Amino acid sequence: MRAWLARGAMLAVGVLLFFLLPHVVSDFRLFELARVGQYFIAMLGLYVLTIYTGQVSIGHGAFMAIGGYTTGVLVYHRHWEDVRTLPIAGLVAGVAGLLFGLPALRLRGLYLALATFALAVSVPAVIKKWESLTGGSTGLLFATFHENRWYYNVTWATAGILVVLAWIVLASPVGRTWRALRDSEVAASSFGVWVPLYKTLAFGISAAYAGVAGGLLVILSLGANPNSFPIQLSIYLLVGVAIGSFAGIPGILVGAAFVEYVQVYAPKWVSDSPGIPTFAFGAALVLAAFAATAFSALTIRWQTGLKRGPAKETS
Amino acid sequence: MAIVLGALALASGAAGATRLDPGVSSNEVKIGGTVPLSGVAAAYASVGRGADAYFKYWNETHGGVKGRKIDYEYLDDQYDPSKTVDQTRRLIQEDKVFAVFNSLGTEQNLAVRALLNGAKVPQIFVASGGLTFGRDYKQYPYTIGFLPSYVAEGTIYGKYLRTLKKKATIAVLYQDDDYGKEMLRGLEKGLAGKGRIVSRQSYDPTASDVNSQVAALKSSRANTFLIAATPKYAIQAYIQAHKLGWKPQIVVNQVASASNVMKIVQSSVGSLANGSVSIGFVKDPTDPRFKKDKVVALYRSVLKKYQPSADPNDVYNVYAMAVAYEFINVLAHAGNPPTRDGLMRAVTHMNDKKNPFLYPGVVVHTTPQSRFPITQAQLIRWKGGHWNAFGKLVSAR
Repeated sequence: MRAWLARGAMLAVGVLLFFLLPHVVSDFRLFELARVGQYFIAMLGLYVLTIYTGQVSIGHGAFMAIGGYTTGVLVYHRHWEDVRTLPIAGLVAGVAGLLFGLPALRLRGLYLALATFALAVSVPAVIKKWESLTGGSTGLLFATFHENRWYYNVTWATAGILVVLAWIVLASPVGRTWRALRDSEVAASSFGVWVPLYKTLAFGISAAYAGVAGGLLVILSLGANPNSFPIQLSIYLLVGVAIGSFAGIPGILVGAAFVEYVQVYAPKWVSDSPGIPTFAFGAALVLAAFAATAFSALTIRWQTGLKRGPAKETS
Repeated sequence: MAIVLGALALASGAAGATRLDPGVSSNEVKIGGTVPLSGVAAAYASVGRGADAYFKYWNETHGGVKGRKIDYEYLDDQYDPSKTVDQTRRLIQEDKVFAVFNSLGTEQNLAVRALLNGAKVPQIFVASGGLTFGRDYKQYPYTIGFLPSYVAEGTIYGKYLRTLKKKATIAVLYQDDDYGKEMLRGLEKGLAGKGRIVSRQSYDPTASDVNSQVAALKSSRANTFLIAATPKYAIQAYIQAHKLGWKPQIVVNQVASASNVMKIVQSSVGSLANGSVSIGFVKDPTDPRFKKDKVVALYRSVLKKYQPSADPNDVYNVYAMAVAYEFINVLAHAGNPPTRDGLMRAVTHMNDKKNPFLYPGVVVHTTPQSRFPITQAQLIRWKGGHWNAFGKLVSAR
């Protein structure tokens, strides 16, 4: 119950910020925030997969590409209104995730991570080859675009809906089963849990989140291009999970903001000499991981000080 | 009292601002563009850095253009079109630049073309040979390129090869995107049926190597090998041909024929590099003909002072200064104070015979109906460790 109160409070703060920020920051900053939202959604899906089922993926950029190109194709070839393509983008990427989840069942830990990495490497190449549909290396360019405020509204409204959906799933028997699986597959299956179903389901759902994020990426980028889904994208998403694993949803938010802003401002604030921005990004990442660990240690100490256990999951 | 004065100052400032186009103030013109400073195409960073060096030099020695210093902000897009969109938005919405200048890459510029034209922001001297930037001005009047189109370059090679005594049988390695395909199309156009393309192989721009493609091309027994590839893959193509003992006449496209690239080629393949043919349109700082050239000397000193870490043998720096020079030229004709429409009028009425960074004789010329600023090039042949011009300037239209 207390957890739901906390979630309600978090949601209220989120909604308040959502309406407040456009009055505080400049028009262009709203666009940047929309980018943060795009990363946040993909990271949220990956977070659920990693933290609640213990499966690691370093290939979720591929599902973003699949969702992104679903949006791209529907807008470019079928003249759909862009925002309406988002559910389909999630659905298509989700189905792709389910299909990939099946063979991935045989793999664990590091091996699963490597298989997903292969996915991240191969999907952009496949997209380029399928030229009649995807426009090859030129991609699909949209002719229409929106105000920055519109991008902000759409992205964060979507993010809000997806956060609530994630909470509902995690509170349901499905979420409980995932946690049981993560703690011990053997114990869970001896209680009658059909392990493959639940693991594949988790993969599918997280891929669907990535798909929606990919759809948003394409809408924000005014078109789909294979270069927009590089291998680094999949790695960046893990940053959100890493920070989120210490600090939950606020942590994912920090991770999303981190990926967006450090990429942009490292060349500006540190130096734009060859190699330095990349180095600065890596250094900032290590620092952030330390900071998150320290933060987590402090909160745990604070909580135990209040004679509570390290309440990681109290549903 | 202070408040009243402040309000007055604000009011007059606001009134003054309404008369000037974005990015223009009494003593400054702010422009911007995107280049890959990091990522797979970071080698092209000099296209931004070299231009920046020239603007800084010009500001310091000439006080800018009509008293307005040029503030050029080049942002990193990592060669990712979605980042180009973000950075270009930042330039026009947050930094409020007067014009977007010298942004690099075909796909990258295509990604922001509709956005810029919609906002009526000039997108000028696009650093890409994509045909569309010069051709589709009716739909996108605020966009214009600078260098010869890839189709034009391919056509030059085709025309050259068909003049050879021995009938050319040609094998082509090309990048699997618009750039490579346009080059191939130009080659066919230039050959006009008088030489035969016996084999064509494409590679993905993110591929790790082109070895299998070169092997396939060699097995066609072509006597001529056109390398329409970016530097990394062009070097690989030379090396692989050398390893396989293939000795065709090599034609290497301009984007990979910078002297510093060719020096690497020569050190790996020796005599195979000799006799290679390419085109050039900016002065090559390693060419002994320009050893005593005043402009090349100026180029070196400007680069040394304002971009000390840059490689002066990197010909993209010369290209960057050529395009910066031309921008200064058109800005001077864009009105006083300059306006965006004035700038577009100036870039579509260029007739500059004296751009000192270009090959002697190359003219920068445009009309509202002909929007390819450079339509001439020089055929060059690699011999004795450097490029040598041969024949007259050729049309690159």
